[in-house]
Amino acid sequence: MDLLSTLFSLEEELSKVIGSYVQAFFICPRQVWLMSRQVCPDEDNIFLQIGRLIQKQAYSRERKEVHIEHLALDMIKRGEKTLVIAEVKKTSKAIEAARMQLAFYLYELKNMGIEAEGELLFPEERKKEILILTPEWEGKVEKVKQEILELINQPLPPSPHRGRYCSKCAYAEFCWA
Amino acid sequence: MQKTLYLFANGRLYRKDNTICVEGEKERKYFPVESIRDIYVFGEVDLNKKFIEFAEDKEIILHFFGYYGNYVGTFYPREHYNSGYIILRQAEHYLDSTKRLDLAKRFVQGAVANIVQVLKYYQNRGKDLESYLYAISLLEESVSSVSSVEELMALEGNIRRYYYESFNTILDDTPFILKNRSKRPPTDPLNALISFGNSLVYTKILTEIYKTHLDPRIGYFHTTNFRRFTLNLDVAEIFKPIYADRVLFTLLNKNVIKEDDFENQGGVFLLKERGRRLYVQEFEDKLRTTFYHRRLKRNVSYQTLIRLELYKIEKHLIGEELYEPFVSRW
Repeated sequence: MDLLSTLFSLEEELSKVIGSYVQAFFICPRQVWLMSRQVCPDEDNIFLQIGRLIQKQAYSRERKEVHIEHLALDMIKRGEKTLVIAEVKKTSKAIEAARMQLAFYLYELKNMGIEAEGELLFPEERKKEILILTPEWEGKVEKVKQEILELINQPLPPSPHRGRYCSKCAYAEFCWA
Repeated sequence: MQKTLYLFANGRLYRKDNTICVEGEKERKYFPVESIRDIYVFGEVDLNKKFIEFAEDKEIILHFFGYYGNYVGTFYPREHYNSGYIILRQAEHYLDSTKRLDLAKRFVQGAVANIVQVLKYYQNRGKDLESYLYAISLLEESVSSVSSVEELMALEGNIRRYYYESFNTILDDTPFILKNRSKRPPTDPLNALISFGNSLVYTKILTEIYKTHLDPRIGYFHTTNFRRFTLNLDVAEIFKPIYADRVLFTLLNKNVIKEDDFENQGGVFLLKERGRRLYVQEFEDKLRTTFYHRRLKRNVSYQTLIRLELYKIEKHLIGEELYEPFVSRW
């Protein structure tokens, strides 16, 4: 990658919000800032590996990982009335963050003219939740998108704060080094 | 935790299904690929492209050494942690001479602080190192006032000269003497041992750099020419005294490695296989040793410590926190 294209890809990166930022935003804003610079977490982290494995192995018979523009959807299927998009998570520990991520996908799809419903899947817990995009959700998504854009355009990341997620986070060594 | 594979004997290294296979003259051994972080190749080992591709896929780094234990080169798999942002920051800190000098000084200050720790350790064990500590402390004061990397290099060279001289006091119960530091080739056993230890530290740090977003070709203290790895040499300044030199003193003071572990080949000294094995064993023990890390609030190994140091450098480049090198407290 030459420097010029690096610069351009960086600018592009800081002008758009993606699903993983939305999810991370509710867990740790610092993580979002780092992700926006491709400062990705430590891949050796065992919890990260488990998460990846679950995503890969669960529902392997159904259709997997669809990319539409800047969206990376875990699963797409045909519902009764509309398309159903699903987001797979390891645990429901951060369910609020997961709901927001899914609502974000539905919102972005709607703006592209695609109507869809959402499903949150927790294969390990054998749990499922339906999410339908309401005007209330739309308002929340818009607000979050704005907040994320402001955050990632800050010159410095928010300083680390020790929270309930730190102990298993793949960024912990980076933050507390 | 992933392991390091050291190959001393001659033989063949290849992919057998999804496993690493090492075939020597007498035996054949299998190593689960997921559990290997890097491989050090000292012996005459045959390997093919299929194996290199396997290593690339599994993100395993291969370090190669020559007959004399000299470092030959590294197979550094295609980068998997890519951050254009960090690379730009790294380049920025190189191109801006003030920023570059500032970082270079931090590496040297860390190196000197750890050198002093090592000397104090042996001072406490009854070695008279006062004069060296005094001479080094005088030079240490001037580190902050140098105005170019070249000056800093010269100053660091002077500090090292005193430091290496002190080896003769630390090792006065052993038959080993260091007249002058000679690298290529080492002209006495002690020089061979110092070089061997240093190259292990250089390559270990390179392995860890691979697991970060940093580009090993952009260093600050050592001259970058974008053709070879230099950042690992910078970071090694800090770790050489506490990793390589402490291991060396332990092995020689305890008489584990002896004079006949070296081979004299027309004035060039080389550590024989037994010596290399013993050194590597002690070195790995050192890396596995853990201690409590206050900020991380858990125990970390000396191996992990290298990674943490690299993260600190990344944070310096981002502009988040000024880099303060690790200084051993014992």
